[in-house]
Amino acid sequence: MIRFGPKNLRIPKFERPVYMVAGGLTDYRKRYPEKSSSELCMEAFRMAVEENDLKVTAEEVRRSVNWCVYSQFADHFGDQLLAASKIHDYLGFDPLGNIEVKTGGATGGSSVLAAAQAVASGYASCVPVVGWERMDEVSTKVGNSYIASAACKDFESELGWMYASYYALMARRYQYENKVPRETLARIACKNHEYACYSPYSQNPGKYTIEDVLNNDMVSDPLSFLECCVMSVGAAVLILADEETAYSLCDHPVRITAICGGTHTLRTADRRPMPILLLPNETEETYRDYFKGQRTEWPGFSSFLASRMAAYLAYNMAGIKDPIEDFDLLETHDAFTISDVQTYEDIGLRPYGRGREFIESGDAYFEGRLPTNLSGGLIGTMHAVGATGIWQLVELMWQLQGKWDKFHADPERWARYGKKKPEEFRSLQVPNAKRACAISHAGTGSHVTVTVLEKA
Amino acid sequence: MTIELNGTSAEVLNEEPLVIKNLKNWHHIHSYGGLGKFFHGLRKRKLLATRCTNAECQEKRLWLPPRCQCPDCWHDMEWVEAPTVATIYTHSTVLYPGAPFRASIPCPLISVEIEGVCTKMMSYLKEGKPEIGMPVRAVFNTEALTNTILDLAWVPQ
Repeated sequence: MIRFGPKNLRIPKFERPVYMVAGGLTDYRKRYPEKSSSELCMEAFRMAVEENDLKVTAEEVRRSVNWCVYSQFADHFGDQLLAASKIHDYLGFDPLGNIEVKTGGATGGSSVLAAAQAVASGYASCVPVVGWERMDEVSTKVGNSYIASAACKDFESELGWMYASYYALMARRYQYENKVPRETLARIACKNHEYACYSPYSQNPGKYTIEDVLNNDMVSDPLSFLECCVMSVGAAVLILADEETAYSLCDHPVRITAICGGTHTLRTADRRPMPILLLPNETEETYRDYFKGQRTEWPGFSSFLASRMAAYLAYNMAGIKDPIEDFDLLETHDAFTISDVQTYEDIGLRPYGRGREFIESGDAYFEGRLPTNLSGGLIGTMHAVGATGIWQLVELMWQLQGKWDKFHADPERWARYGKKKPEEFRSLQVPNAKRACAISHAGTGSHVTVTVLEKA
Repeated sequence: MTIELNGTSAEVLNEEPLVIKNLKNWHHIHSYGGLGKFFHGLRKRKLLATRCTNAECQEKRLWLPPRCQCPDCWHDMEWVEAPTVATIYTHSTVLYPGAPFRASIPCPLISVEIEGVCTKMMSYLKEGKPEIGMPVRAVFNTEALTNTILDLAWVPQ
């Protein structure tokens, strides 16, 4: 049993408001030998300062920066310890202070959290968050073993050296308890691969049918290849600032009203039962009939306590009463289709056991009540791990600023990455979007951040 | 001129852009610390778990994988023999393992529930087709030891 003390669930607060002012991306590829990690970070940084309609020159942004946060998941992959130092120098920020953050797949979200803490506390007033990953120096099989080094080396990694299998153990149990049709899971894969078709940055776009997904080869049952995220090379940059700096740099910054983190044991094995931690849109009554049939405990293997913790703190910090009603956009960490359904429940889009309805109802689509992963997600667009949580927030910021078309629909932008804008292109700009949420997620739910953004 | 360097030159994989292959070939020395006792136990066909000895501890759970100290009160734990029978809590068959994987594929991974143990340890099924709820018993690799968690597997009861 996990028992909370009176201060364990204190709701975080910022001493002063924190804003996002600019973002930049690279395109994402399986292999990217043409550009070093430093060059990729520079490219994303230049997009941030040159293409976000800032009121000042790039040089003035440089003179405003007073602290930097770097975000890279695995030194193994880049084969370069202290890569952050190289990139900080490459971007010309020496001798300003910096810090590098590492929390597995949630590294991007945690890095933005660290930058937001710096701004909110008054420690800094303008902070670039620079994330990247270079996953093309080794074969996919070695890459998978590197990722599996983020499982317990004593008791888990030897068992497959494959993180998808560790998720698949949770997926199987979730299916046993909740019996989600494979077709519903396939719809998530189809949706995100399709939205990736409208992103010039995406690595794995494609229009697939449910049948294609159902007939796809298994990586580790019940997860097929089309239901798993990609392994990428690329970078993302987000610049945070306090209020005064934000409005001196741009006219329409986006406010971070909450960014909170939760954790759970790295070994899924060690997860002990506890009472369900209730979100603002749930009561004891919501779960009166939950524990029946195959469901005997919570969170078990069916739920991510780290996601629930982070959502509990973030919703209370930002005053979110009902996520479906209050958010206009959502980016989840769709590493795998089933983990996405699990997350829908953890963040309160549906009560536990009913996550499938979020997809089946159409809510998760562009036309639905809460469009989700219009970026193409990790399944369709990218998982250059250290960049991922930052890229999600950049995409959401552009949506809230009404700039989705500017950054996705211009044929020249496609040409920049050697691509042709598809003829069947759709604008995914959500009209009048005011509030958005992003989930950054690591391990089998070892670290999760939930960020709430609001149009300022 | 030629500069005499030790070792072979790096293989060029691509000229434009230039991509070379660096050779890495060395061992990591993996220390188990206090957890070595668990792996010694496997050699004797025993599953060694740990339990907190602190009378004040609110939980006093039996942990497997073991921990030398209790996460609930931070006191030292004692080693206890756990049952070697279990039921399958969940499973997934590995078809595309990462590079260093040593067992044969397809490899059914399982998480097992053991009576009295507060965790659901990850392991693999040596024989048979896994089903949730299936009763299994532990088997031990006692010859050609790997001295890893692969020395423990399960078979249907």
